[in-house]
Amino acid sequence: MPDYKRYQCSVCGHIYDEAEGDPDTGIAPGTLWKDIPDDWRCPECGAEKSEYALMA
Amino acid sequence: MQIVIIGSGVAGVSFAEKYRSLSADDEITLVTREHDGYYSRPLLSRGFSKADIEQSIILKPFDKLRENNIDVLCGVEVTAINRADKTVAINGSCQEKELHYDKLILAQGSSAFIPPPFRPYEKLFFCLNSLVDLKALRKFRQGFLSQNQRPDWAIVGGGLIGCEVASDLAAAGDKVTLFHAMDRLMERQLVADDSALLLKVLQDSGVKVLLNQAVQEFIKEEDKVCVRTEVTAEFDGLIVACGFKPRTELAELAGLEIGRGIKVNQYLQTSDESIYALGDVAELPNGKLYAFILPIRNQALWLAEFLAGQKQDFWTPPFFTTKAKVHGFEAVHPYNV
Repeated sequence: MPDYKRYQCSVCGHIYDEAEGDPDTGIAPGTLWKDIPDDWRCPECGAEKSEYALMA
Repeated sequence: MQIVIIGSGVAGVSFAEKYRSLSADDEITLVTREHDGYYSRPLLSRGFSKADIEQSIILKPFDKLRENNIDVLCGVEVTAINRADKTVAINGSCQEKELHYDKLILAQGSSAFIPPPFRPYEKLFFCLNSLVDLKALRKFRQGFLSQNQRPDWAIVGGGLIGCEVASDLAAAGDKVTLFHAMDRLMERQLVADDSALLLKVLQDSGVKVLLNQAVQEFIKEEDKVCVRTEVTAEFDGLIVACGFKPRTELAELAGLEIGRGIKVNQYLQTSDESIYALGDVAELPNGKLYAFILPIRNQALWLAEFLAGQKQDFWTPPFFTTKAKVHGFEAVHPYNV
């Protein structure tokens, strides 16, 4: 099982968990951060992908 | 239990969704004057450089909330809160009725603050506080573009929103003059060094920045609008960006305690124990109003958990920072939030 990571939106605090993906925006569970398209936006606040940071 | 929420911004929507995830049975009704769905307010500042913004800014259509068993009444104004019988009176396009609540959540947010001297000229300028405002601005701008012209803009206010809008209009190719009353840009959030850097970034992008400007009045001149300071200059379009004003009128009419915002305790409860307020309409006991997305969403999630019985401790603000959406600008020092 891969070592899934979590990323947090710096604008609103939304957490993207690679294990869970984000099915509502078409991101399947298990999708790694690097595989999410660059034009994907935070589902809660619309921030760009670059606003996310890896969680410690 | 019946929960009524007023407002469909990040505060109201985040609360509604979180509460629904914690309680399958309670009735949740969200009342909003908006029509288009839940949209990203920060993205309003990118409303000119992005062509598809009017669609892409919508993060969730209201139907998506309805699928989640959240009753959304859109295009509706709340006209009164009747605390004695726990109802709110609403007035929409084809409905006028009363909604009962057990808990009422006030999340109406804020409107643009218009300094008193500018109020007589409200027909002469735009604000950029909502998607409706953005659509009006884009339509006005399109009128020029369709004739192969570029509007010449004046923006009054060099705070966060004024700088973002100036930057985005310049990025979209328009001519922009930014008037600011103070001697440096975004003086509330930035240290002086970063204000100077921001000034340079804006100037390099083509924005004409005028500091220490006492704007006295606006004057209509045929199809132009003039801004009078010590001198008078004419523009095609004028945007006033002088801060925000919490929408406290309804709460005040209902007799709730009001300061700059609706006063709440550390449990986000107003002076009426059945009524809570959150987002940038709520004034905490420390006198602060939280206007940025992160703490607002944090309040909304906390309140949902609290009302669902899953949190006992009062709300404490999370650590957060912000970043102005000015093309090409990265502050060196942390923002003062």
